[in-house]
Amino acid sequence: MIGVTRAFAASIRRSMVAVALAGTVLGGCASGDTGAAEVWDPLETPNRFIFSINRAVDVMALRPLAVMYRDLVPERAQTGVRNVLDNLGEPVTAINEVFQGDPNRAATTMARFLVNSTIGVAGIFDVASSFGLERTKEDFGKTIGLWAGVEPENGGFYLMLPAYGPSNARDGTGLMMDYLVDPFRILTFNLAVDWDVWQIGRYGMNAVDYRSRTIFALDDLEKNSVDYYAALRSAYTQNRADQIREKREKTNARSELERRDNLALVR
Amino acid sequence: MPKLASRRVVLQFVATAAVFTAVVGPAVAADPAQIVQRTAQQVIEIVKTKTGADRQAAILGVLQANFDMPAMARVALGTHWNTATEQERARFLKAVATAEAKAYSERFGQYGGQTLTIGKVTPRTNGAIIVDSRLNQTSGQPIKLEWEVRGDRITDVKVEGVSMVMTRRSDFNSYIQNHGGKVEPLVSELEARAAR
Repeated sequence: MIGVTRAFAASIRRSMVAVALAGTVLGGCASGDTGAAEVWDPLETPNRFIFSINRAVDVMALRPLAVMYRDLVPERAQTGVRNVLDNLGEPVTAINEVFQGDPNRAATTMARFLVNSTIGVAGIFDVASSFGLERTKEDFGKTIGLWAGVEPENGGFYLMLPAYGPSNARDGTGLMMDYLVDPFRILTFNLAVDWDVWQIGRYGMNAVDYRSRTIFALDDLEKNSVDYYAALRSAYTQNRADQIREKREKTNARSELERRDNLALVR
Repeated sequence: MPKLASRRVVLQFVATAAVFTAVVGPAVAADPAQIVQRTAQQVIEIVKTKTGADRQAAILGVLQANFDMPAMARVALGTHWNTATEQERARFLKAVATAEAKAYSERFGQYGGQTLTIGKVTPRTNGAIIVDSRLNQTSGQPIKLEWEVRGDRITDVKVEGVSMVMTRRSDFNSYIQNHGGKVEPLVSELEARAAR
């Protein structure tokens, strides 16, 4: 059983590398700005096929599970689970913040991680927030988007990932990078514990937790659209673009302040 | 003769009043932050007090009073607006208004104590004014809402960066493309959904 899952994980990893490589190569060819209204989707037919499978799985398994989780599990337990999962994600966020040129923020994130892992009992309680260390969530898709010299609406070709959902060349590459640099993945693998069990548990919980928080928004989008696939494609692209734009504006404001400080020093 | 003079006075008065309202009226009413605040208050009041068909009708009233529905629908239809017939356009406008009213009245369910905090107001070069705001919930993170205001009407709402009009545009365009590039099937579909 473990051998099978390991082979499966390896094959997923291989195919993700292929996808990411294709992403970087083809993403570079994206001509002009796709804009939010017309998302570049050359793989629309296979994407729609994967979308229909994802939806079937969602309707039959993931959504009912997420609804039960939301309605039956006590709210404090849900918060605890979310905090543990968020805490496991902090190192990846810190690594991305370094790549985003913000080592100070990365240090804050690592301080959060250390405080919550110890005083916060393995991350169950977010005590760092009450110390004034605010939580951030960064991923490599945003890091690429921050430095790429294109409109953030242009994330390369649109991609519907099996089980994961909407993505694009930029965010798919980012997802793979985050997976590769994740210390917890490397750690569990190197300690030769049953890492696949831990990983599946973690990603499974992440999926249920995330889905439980998107029930309202996705139900609404589905109910009020005539072409759910197209509406989701547009909404995903706009939402990611907004996150990246926020990042860029913040960076610009800071670099502008630094520029003024330097001018003051010269004078 | 005096009668004529008095008529002239009345006419002058009417003309001045018309000019006055044309120039000053909209400028007073067109404080974008106020428009957004007023709209939010009206919607919250409706959600608190009305349900079912009453609520939908009231929401439709708010939409038509504060939003530039025809412009939003036209943008949402994109280039297909030009190919649509007059009759299709009229049917489309009506169906979209009903669909939005229905969506909004079902979206809120029961009033859950949400409040709207207005943030900064930024004019854009294209003549639109963006009003930032946050929808505070009783539990969880506040939701980021940006309102696009032109003149004295709201022309778009962005929820966490997702524009209502752009999403509809993408949605409608794709539907039209998959139905022979014609507007008619979309209009029929929207009408069928509105009747449901």
